[in-house]
Amino acid sequence: MRVQTLMSYWLCLSIAGLIGHVSSWAALADSDIQLGQKIYERSCVTCHGEFGKGDGPAAFYNSAYSAPRPRDFTVGNYKFRSTPSGEAPTDQDIFRVLTNGIPGYMPSFSGLSEEQRWQVTAYLKQFSPDLFRESPTVVDLPDPFIPFSLKSAQQGRSVYLEMECQACHGLDGRGTGATTLMNDLADSRGLQISSTDLTFPQSFKNGGTGQDIIRTVLTGLDGTPMPSYEAQLQGRSEDAWHLVNYVLSLSPTH
Amino acid sequence: MGIILMFTLWGSWMQDAYALPAFARKYQVNCNVCHTRQPRLNSFGEQFLENGYQMPGTEDGGIVEKLKYGDVTLDQVSNYLGILFGLNALENTQLRRDVPGSGDQTDIASPTILRMFTIGTFAKNVGFLVDSTTLFAQSSDLELGRAFVTVNNLGGMDWAHLRVGRLDPSAYFSFATDRPQFIPVGPKLAPPFGSFATPAVDRWAPMPSAFASKFYGLFDRSRTAIMPYESTLYNSDKELGIDLHGRPFGNWFLYQVGILNGGNERAGDSNHSKDWYVMTRFDYAQSDYFSANLSGFAYFGNHNAKVSTGADVSRSRYGVAARLRYKWLDVYGAYTIDRVTDLPSGMSATFDATASGVTVETHALVTDRLLLGVRFDHMDAGGLLATRTSATFLAWQAKYYLRSNLSMTIRHDMNLRDAEGGMSAARNLRNLFSMDLTAVF
Repeated sequence: MRVQTLMSYWLCLSIAGLIGHVSSWAALADSDIQLGQKIYERSCVTCHGEFGKGDGPAAFYNSAYSAPRPRDFTVGNYKFRSTPSGEAPTDQDIFRVLTNGIPGYMPSFSGLSEEQRWQVTAYLKQFSPDLFRESPTVVDLPDPFIPFSLKSAQQGRSVYLEMECQACHGLDGRGTGATTLMNDLADSRGLQISSTDLTFPQSFKNGGTGQDIIRTVLTGLDGTPMPSYEAQLQGRSEDAWHLVNYVLSLSPTH
Repeated sequence: MGIILMFTLWGSWMQDAYALPAFARKYQVNCNVCHTRQPRLNSFGEQFLENGYQMPGTEDGGIVEKLKYGDVTLDQVSNYLGILFGLNALENTQLRRDVPGSGDQTDIASPTILRMFTIGTFAKNVGFLVDSTTLFAQSSDLELGRAFVTVNNLGGMDWAHLRVGRLDPSAYFSFATDRPQFIPVGPKLAPPFGSFATPAVDRWAPMPSAFASKFYGLFDRSRTAIMPYESTLYNSDKELGIDLHGRPFGNWFLYQVGILNGGNERAGDSNHSKDWYVMTRFDYAQSDYFSANLSGFAYFGNHNAKVSTGADVSRSRYGVAARLRYKWLDVYGAYTIDRVTDLPSGMSATFDATASGVTVETHALVTDRLLLGVRFDHMDAGGLLATRTSATFLAWQAKYYLRSNLSMTIRHDMNLRDAEGGMSAARNLRNLFSMDLTAVF
């Protein structure tokens, strides 16, 4: 008797749930944003949450008591941009993160087709419509480009010290600066955050190539203690590339 | 103690790593992207598993980055191969003192388990898993565990995923049998062994009661005793069969159906009758760091066991399970009812054909590295009336992660019914303390 009762309850629950959801599921039209929503609900929702607040059920376990938690798309605080600090990212910025992932924390979704990744990009922007109302302006890369050389890297060290990068990243670039060691660094959610180990470019969240590093230096990582150095490096194109080359030289494999 | 010290120092020296076992290496993420803490999966890991080891919502399986065979290096091999090494550093068993030959027993530092597994994708929507285990306490033989092929996204994204081979049916249940957060502590058995012989149990194995066989006096089709604490039927960790599951209507609903040999056989397929099962799961909420799910299954056995007379009987199981996760808290539990049918007419008066079990487990991630857990098990045993003994255990566990792939565990199981007395193994064991080290590479 116990078994029959148990199974009857289960069958009723299954049928009721099915009727309740099939109608809303069938009503979805197939615009880009709605297709993006469908993909989001399968691929992204467990970390970024149903409403894009970075509070999905898996979010807490990834970084329970320290940063980084998954991005909250509703506050418009995007870390990885090619635009000035405080501005919205470009569509290409969002697409790039979807494609490359974030080492350590977010896998690459290059398994989605290019079209699907653009659809997800379109849907993500819906979480903070005010931010994306105006077209973002892309920060220009310093010109002329200075290719990597030991001489350039040596010049870059003085820029590194001038910008006080060592306060967080340490004199040797291993992320053991005084501020980091004092546990004084926190992200916009108040979670403790560590400085990136610059000797391990595979772990750079915004990418480890020279182009990626200059973009990070100029735009900063909003929501983290890493500021934008665009103003300090204004008119100092060569110094900007020297700094990048110094960071590249810290990697034992470079 | 030297080995414990070695592990501790090793853990202290190691740098925080991004690349860990197979999938973490392959996708360049840390373990906690998929695990609440290794080995239990979080919601993202569950969806990765359901999609046949491909990123949720994709059909890729990593083929985008796959190299030609001629270019394969050790780095690429390590993207598919994982190794788990477990060491029972310390085990202390307290048995009832009024039982002859009993008393406290302490074992120190014996290697317990070596598990090798290879998982990945052959091509778009085709995945595989093979794992093998060596239990050093029993023998040094490598025993084949799960070995199956998955064909994913048949008929459309998440409509149907097929698994064929030796598989773990309960992988998608609210409380999956595999990947236990509580370290398994095995039994200690003594002769008689052999055909239709039931070994003496010197120490009961406190396994999850909801998944246990629960019956005394049953044998598998090779005439080996099925011990009442063994995981069986839908909750077997490796059974030959075919399994189909999917989420055709979105994340809120999962279905699963399957056919299994059901004979509990290490190899071969003597049970031509086959067992079958159906499971549905409802998922609620995907925000505020909260999620919950509810599952129910029915498993219909067909000549999948024997009694001591040699006659075939059929074992079936019906169960419900629920799981709730909120921030640092993870609670899950399962209740099952087992039934034996087709009993020989002469046994009906001496054999209880119904049994049930309940297991409730909770974990709290107190810090990034410390996971505390409590588990309650109750088994209302069935089978031969002369020997059947119900069992109730409470266990707590502290698991400290030196690194996300290296953990130290302390566990204590308490028998809540030892005061009731009796000579059975389920009452004989009073306390079980164990300390383990586990490393996954």
